Amino acid sequence: MVKFLKPNKAVIVLQGRYAGRKAVIVRSFDEGTRDRPYGHCLVAGTKKYPSKVIRKDSAKKTAKKSRVKCFVKLVNYQHLMPTRYTLDVDLKDVVTADALQTKDKKVAACKATKERFQERFKTGKNRWFFTKLRF
Amino acid sequence: MVAAKKTKKTHESINNRLALVMKSGKYTLGYKTVLKSLRSSKGKLIIIANNCPPLRKSEIEYYAMLCKVGVHHYNGNNVDLGTACGKYFRVCCLSIIDPGDSDIIKSMPSDH
Repeated sequence: MVKFLKPNKAVIVLQGRYAGRKAVIVRSFDEGTRDRPYGHCLVAGTKKYPSKVIRKDSAKKTAKKSRVKCFVKLVNYQHLMPTRYTLDVDLKDVVTADALQTKDKKVAACKATKERFQERFKTGKNRWFFTKLRF
Repeated sequence: MVAAKKTKKTHESINNRLALVMKSGKYTLGYKTVLKSLRSSKGKLIIIANNCPPLRKSEIEYYAMLCKVGVHHYNGNNVDLGTACGKYFRVCCLSIIDPGDSDIIKSMPSDH
């Protein structure tokens, strides 16, 4: 009886090109919109996870290994698996519904989320989110 | 022996309560609608048959855990659960949205 598909919830995408990838809900549209008359949400996720960084890596290598590739997508609730994890990254100003209108806006949104994700990965928090789901 | 007797009695009472819900309350039958009701936080109690595939059972339990909704494992398979609902088809899982006159929600969480 508690709503759990809220912003900052970590989810796993189940269908589509990004199936098996972890994502975070940025904005949820429970009632749907005119174009999408079903419950869906705007998610930002990792297209390519960062590699494992070990202590003896040089600074250049850690920088290379910590790179994250992101995607931004509108996904139906049915194609998501919610988890008990959350990711407190403020993406509301960066990832908006109109960022998906044109390709260059989408690229800009992905670049900004990439930076936020990378700095979060470097702090070592939310380790679950940045590990690849093995299946 | 005492345990067996107790389950039979409570089992009948669950059936009675379910029948009352079917008559007076709102419910949905089936896996897809159960997940829908959990996502929209409309479901109040989930009942799962005992021969539900374990992956599906775990998935429903996980959603219910996120949602803080009770899950009752019905003492019978999907054929029995369908009969208990008064339907002529098999029901693997069902979600009670509005119990109507029944007290199934108040009495079930204590039982489980």
